[in-house]
Amino acid sequence: MMRTVLVIAMCLVALALATTPETSEEKGLFFNLNNGELCVNSVQCKSSCCHHSDDYLPRCAPRAADNEICSKKSLYGTYYYCICEDGLKCEGDWSIGGSIVNTNFGICTDPHHA
Amino acid sequence: MWLLLIGGLLHCFIGAVYGAEVCYENLGCFSNEKPWSGTTERPIARLPWSPEKINARFLLFTRQNIDLYQEISTNADVIARSNYKGSRKTSFITHGFIDKGDENWLLDMCKLILSVEDINCICLDWKSGSRTLYTQAANNIRVLGAQVAYMISIFKESFQQSPENVHIIGHSLGSHLAAEAGRRTPGLGRITGLDPAEPYFQGCPTLVRLDPSDALFVDVIHSDALPMIPYLGFGMSQAVGHLDFYPNGGESMPGCEKNIISQIVDIDGIWEGTRDFVACNHLRSYKYYSDSILNPEGFLGYSCTNEAMFVSGQCFPCTSSSPCPFMGHHADKFKVPNGAEKLKFYLNTGDSRPFSRYRYRVTVTIDGSRTNTGYFKVALYGVNGNTRQYEIYKGTLSPGKTYELLIDVEKEVDELTHVKFIWNNNVLNPLLPKFGATQIIVERGRDRKTFKFCGNGIVRENVLQTLSSCQ
Repeated sequence: MMRTVLVIAMCLVALALATTPETSEEKGLFFNLNNGELCVNSVQCKSSCCHHSDDYLPRCAPRAADNEICSKKSLYGTYYYCICEDGLKCEGDWSIGGSIVNTNFGICTDPHHA
Repeated sequence: MWLLLIGGLLHCFIGAVYGAEVCYENLGCFSNEKPWSGTTERPIARLPWSPEKINARFLLFTRQNIDLYQEISTNADVIARSNYKGSRKTSFITHGFIDKGDENWLLDMCKLILSVEDINCICLDWKSGSRTLYTQAANNIRVLGAQVAYMISIFKESFQQSPENVHIIGHSLGSHLAAEAGRRTPGLGRITGLDPAEPYFQGCPTLVRLDPSDALFVDVIHSDALPMIPYLGFGMSQAVGHLDFYPNGGESMPGCEKNIISQIVDIDGIWEGTRDFVACNHLRSYKYYSDSILNPEGFLGYSCTNEAMFVSGQCFPCTSSSPCPFMGHHADKFKVPNGAEKLKFYLNTGDSRPFSRYRYRVTVTIDGSRTNTGYFKVALYGVNGNTRQYEIYKGTLSPGKTYELLIDVEKEVDELTHVKFIWNNNVLNPLLPKFGATQIIVERGRDRKTFKFCGNGIVRENVLQTLSSCQ
């Protein structure tokens, strides 16, 4: 009796697994993480920004767009504000103190556009 | 012994005997005959519980009491003593299976609507009737629908409020609850179905489920339309309103495929995260609705027959012959053509709050030193700020070729002033190739307005090229 139930249950599980819709984009558990997923280092994120606001756990987030507040690249791995998108420079003051507490913030600007 | 057991089990499954009927004061009688049960869609017969057992609570919010609700009931004196006013519009918000009426989303939705409109906002709580077997809850909503209809009749007789000014917003089973109230109230103004429940309703006769005849205007948001078996999609795929919106195709919502820990440990707390873990797609419908209250423009629906056509761009942009309604709270601003129903609309949303998006068609002609693999991105700049960079094409870049893509940007930049182009190699290339955009045409979805930008020169990878207007 017990065995039959077990067999049926396993068949159901197998069916469920077999029929799970395939995701077109590859989805990661530790690397290649989507925005909104928990992270400990920016290398894990597709967006290369592991963002954490003051009180929450860090999550992958989109990089800062032009004219948005940003962090300069640091070795910390996580950021209070994300790093800039391609081609943009995080324009702002750099200080040793800031680099220790990870607060070298700036504004994303295009170095080639007046 | 075995016979007895099987008999008991059968009784359990079939429930009460067919042909039974219960009657409740002021609400009328409820039978479990066809089509309420005994059909392939509804095999198990159950009679709805009594109003006392379901214990419906009507929690009234108005601008006078935005933070603390007043509990009202189907009694004219109780209503008269509350902040309810017949001269204002009234909205009911009701939850579905397992959920409860004092859950944050209902209260927050009331507060949001009150911030833009002066109405009586009533959250209907029926948790005692929803936290039971699904088949039972699916029948309890009949009594609840009758109670809501009875309350609307009191509004009409004692407070001169016409049913035309009443709007019922129902999530999941709540949508069919609203349908029952609408069936009993001729001339009910509007019903909004937020992902109406599929099991026991999809494919059923219109008497049982939500359909356009239940109110003067019925709008529906489908966010979990995959079949119940085997995908556990809780919502209907069937079009059941005057307007049916299928955000992101209606089946799987962005932001709902996170890994289990990321899903449960949510920014809005563990409780909200657990709810999303169980039914993320299904719950997205009310989140979109809430977001749309303050931001109608970000939820423009494009008239389309199916998702594939929407994705391929055949339903873009909005035109005077196929105008675009707003999905969500402001859907009622749309003029439904006489006799038209089950009009389907498609749109894309974001993966987290704010969900609003604005659709553009971007056509890019590139020039370059040689054919090369890589990708390029475009950012839009307008009088109201700028968007992120959106990838337009990835693959072989050939000079002189034109690429086209529809993008849903996160910000309404308004009138475009310029655009920026950036490209990148996928691999290191010592030949240092250069590419540039010679022309970028941006077509705005909401009004077909096109903006033309011209650029000259080519740039190295990862260098932004600015294109200015050349009308």
